[in-house]
Amino acid sequence: MKTPSEDHDLIRWLDGEMTDAERARFSTRLAADPDLKAEVEMMQRMSSDLRAHLPAEMTVPYGDFFNSQIQVRLAQEEPLIPEARASWLDWLRLPTLITATAAVAIAGFMIMQKGPAAGDSVVLSIYVPNASVHARTFHSDEAQATVLMLDGVEAIPADRKIVGYYIERTETDQEVATTTLYGKSGEVVLVVSKDVRNQPRLLSATPRG
Amino acid sequence: MPASTAPEPGEVSDSDLVKRCQAGDTRAFDVLVSRYRGKVYAMTYHMIQNETEAWDLSQEAFIKAWRAMPNFKLDSAFYTWLYRITHNVTYDWLRKKKMHGDGEFDDSRTEHRVAAGAEAVPRNEPAPDIALKNAELGKRINDAIAKLSPEHKQVILLREVEGLAYEEIAQTIPCSLGTVMSRLFYARKKLQEMLKDAYENAL
Amino acid sequence: MNWLLIFAIMTGALTLANAQQPIPVVKPATDGKVWGALVYATNNAKGFVGSNEQAPADFADIPQRLGKVFPYQRFEILGQHLQDVFREYESWVVPTKDLFLKVDSKGPAEGGGMNLHLQFWRDQQVLVKTDAVLKAGSPLFIGGPKWREGQLVFVLVLQK
Repeated sequence: MKTPSEDHDLIRWLDGEMTDAERARFSTRLAADPDLKAEVEMMQRMSSDLRAHLPAEMTVPYGDFFNSQIQVRLAQEEPLIPEARASWLDWLRLPTLITATAAVAIAGFMIMQKGPAAGDSVVLSIYVPNASVHARTFHSDEAQATVLMLDGVEAIPADRKIVGYYIERTETDQEVATTTLYGKSGEVVLVVSKDVRNQPRLLSATPRG
Repeated sequence: MPASTAPEPGEVSDSDLVKRCQAGDTRAFDVLVSRYRGKVYAMTYHMIQNETEAWDLSQEAFIKAWRAMPNFKLDSAFYTWLYRITHNVTYDWLRKKKMHGDGEFDDSRTEHRVAAGAEAVPRNEPAPDIALKNAELGKRINDAIAKLSPEHKQVILLREVEGLAYEEIAQTIPCSLGTVMSRLFYARKKLQEMLKDAYENAL
Repeated sequence: MNWLLIFAIMTGALTLANAQQPIPVVKPATDGKVWGALVYATNNAKGFVGSNEQAPADFADIPQRLGKVFPYQRFEILGQHLQDVFREYESWVVPTKDLFLKVDSKGPAEGGGMNLHLQFWRDQQVLVKTDAVLKAGSPLFIGGPKWREGQLVFVLVLQK
């Protein structure tokens, strides 16, 4: 059985972390031990395959939107240097921000048809993962509402029955990262958790309808 | 050190951009984001293997970097500093997932029990007929990486993808050199077990 | 079905079982309260699904306001959800299992209202992510997928 230091020798040889003298000694051992040699060769091969299949740089999906989203968030941050506020932060305030964000929304396209009034809700940025879906936003004076319109979303099949809930209260359990939703009569209606891929899992207790 | 994406001749250097950021210039930061987003995204993607989450975590890494900018003394290359932040953001995320009991990364406790010949490949996966064909091997490697504990994943990616020396890995994590070596050894051993059939069938 | 999925479902099932037990709950800090509804917009009386849901009195005019934006005559509330927006934890607005919203508070907005990060989900797929400022009295209408002879619209309103 190998000792930990022998294990360390193996990987230090593999990763080029040995001194010349250590390397010479290990090479002698390798020549005399076919099992060790086979193990080293397999690990070498695996390292080379790992490097080949795990690129150090990848294309970021919606790269321009990635940058613009960071700029949106920086504008919401406290300035790094308080006195710098007037010189650089002000130009990033809301109206400019909306325009800048609108200009670089790559995934869909968004159009602010008019600037928002002080009491209007406003959509600052949009990210649509599905390239066939287009998003646009505008404010309707008549409805006194802000609209985020998603065009090109695949229709829900007509035979699918949509079960609605009436949720009045929720409790969240941070220990197990779940939220329990309660209905009108205090009954448990639904538990929301997330799976290992961080996608929501909805588990019904008392579906209506 | 990881291969840095050095600015092209005529481009503003990282250190000049950092100084402008420290003076509050968000446009300078935008240039740094464009320069390094591909590397930051690759690191997070390899760690968590989910496009949407990797995208969000990369955003978090850059935001944290912006917040930490006033404390960055330019005593290392900007990217070295940035990937430490990225690495910490991603590793914290993985640890939180693990604490929430996902059960995905449970190999850390078996680190000293990896026996030669142990069955580590899920039995419902058929032995590939053409195991070393590139696409198939790539998928097997990604699947195997996904099954490693955060600690093992961390050292393997820092070594094989980022090309860090042991000393640099120890500083990044941070931990002792001995821990780096142990984790690297057992991570490789684990991967070797998981990929064993692919290699054997190809030989 | 892989074992991870089974594990996730089992965890959810256990949580659901536990949820029936009266356990002490520490209510997290909140930044406000939102009302979310999924509305079926249609011109066809036959396409009406017969829901009896009514909007709370504060939001009773929502169907009329929807009519100013969406080219339909009838607006039926399929499901609704009154939700606290937690300050440090994600909140879910789930009027139906089919279309629902994840809400993250980013704090109070200048001049009133809330800064929010929203994710609009359809089953396991996120349709859109957005940063928005939500002001009381100014609803956000999200025009969603077509269904039957009409369209599904998600409504989100910040309670005053």
